[in-house]
Amino acid sequence: MMKWLGNVLVSPGEGGVYGERTLDGYRVWDPYRSKLAALYTLGGGVELTPEIRVLYLGAANGTTVSHVADYVETVYAVEFAPRPMQDLLEVARRRRNIVPIMADANRPEEYAPFMEAVDLLYQDVAQPNQVEIAERNLVFLKPGGHLILMLKTRSVDVRRDPAEVLAEARTGLEKRLDIADVRWLDPYHHDHAAIVCSRRE
Amino acid sequence: MLQRYWFGDVDEEGCRAAGTDPAALAERAATLRTGMDSFVPIDWEVARDCGVVRTREEYVDLLRSVCTTLARKKIAQSYQGRDVELLQMVRMLDELDNVINLLQERAAEWYQVTNPSFSRKYRSLPAKKMLGIIRKGARGGLSDVADEIDRLAGTRSRLMREVSARADEVMPNTSALIGGLVAARLLSKAGGLETLARMPGSTIQVIGSERALFSHLRGGTPPPKHGIIFQHRRVHNAPRPVRGRVARVLAAKLAIAARLDYYRGEAVPEFLKSAQARIDEAGVEA
Repeated sequence: MMKWLGNVLVSPGEGGVYGERTLDGYRVWDPYRSKLAALYTLGGGVELTPEIRVLYLGAANGTTVSHVADYVETVYAVEFAPRPMQDLLEVARRRRNIVPIMADANRPEEYAPFMEAVDLLYQDVAQPNQVEIAERNLVFLKPGGHLILMLKTRSVDVRRDPAEVLAEARTGLEKRLDIADVRWLDPYHHDHAAIVCSRRE
Repeated sequence: MLQRYWFGDVDEEGCRAAGTDPAALAERAATLRTGMDSFVPIDWEVARDCGVVRTREEYVDLLRSVCTTLARKKIAQSYQGRDVELLQMVRMLDELDNVINLLQERAAEWYQVTNPSFSRKYRSLPAKKMLGIIRKGARGGLSDVADEIDRLAGTRSRLMREVSARADEVMPNTSALIGGLVAARLLSKAGGLETLARMPGSTIQVIGSERALFSHLRGGTPPPKHGIIFQHRRVHNAPRPVRGRVARVLAAKLAIAARLDYYRGEAVPEFLKSAQARIDEAGVEA
């Protein structure tokens, strides 16, 4: 269950991961910093519950990862670049349910030997082939499980209209998934769309 | 169907555990190759039945230490290349240039206020001379600042020699063609020797002139002939009509040189000789 204090999204856990504010002992989850928090603040998303397992692609410095880890059972956090990976390892050291994996989300075969099936696949990567990456990682998603794809339209093609990029991504995803919700993350993040899908049973 | 997981191999007949030592498991895991077509996600209870762990907590704990060990190794590997430090050195050098220029301009403005007769002269003076005048003429805070700028300038020239020397060592072929400093700047713009080695000559030719390139691609303006490589005398000393040709030939040879540097890591005299000749030839007006 997601925890709200008034209309502020928070998560329960040890603070001081990246200098986030705390409120009544809870960590404030800022929608301007985290696209996932923006999605929840806008009324979308998939409930994070204590028994679910998550594969998180594009974990970066581990700020959003730390909030997700506050809610769920296990997070598999995949990141490719060495600099943010150092920060992520630090975050993972203090949260026992984060498994930090240094690998390329384009090449699931690199981290498959570590993976169990997950209930939620969350993807936030700045690559032109974001839909393709999601498809390759569906093998880890349980039937009935959810995919949240944070589509960075500017990473797909800066010169094209974001709406057009989104439409194309939808058609790509519809081949293997049921799309439950699509929304833009304005005013928190520009030219970013969240696509929530579920894998067919 | 055999599945190779981080904790061991599993098939119809059962499970062969690979031990419980994180370092050994990490080493083994690094060699695993998975075919995604037949891949089945792990059921952690198999690891339990296999005798590797007793509880879910133990499973996640062990998996975490294996993955952390692996990640640390990969990070160390990516920082190990000699080019990584060179990258930081060049960027520091360029940053120093910026800072020194800013400070110098401000110091001149300040000095001019206290010493009105300075105004017309200083614009035409070389920076070093101008700074000398300020150091002699000014008192108090301004002269301290001027001393500091002078020290910074000294740091900068030492760093420049260091960059040049390191570039000669890390990218001997590229440096031989275009000089250590410009070679290092190319490296910094590309983001690493591997990236530079994968670039086509046409990209190397226009690295550093992105603005002109994109305004050309959007239409209307002529394409840039050269980016960073213009800094080399071969390009900027070339007569205008052949400058584009020199830049193109040089860039093409640089692309080969970068690959030699990345894959062989040592100077290749035969290549250098023929490349130099070819570049010189391009600079001759028909």
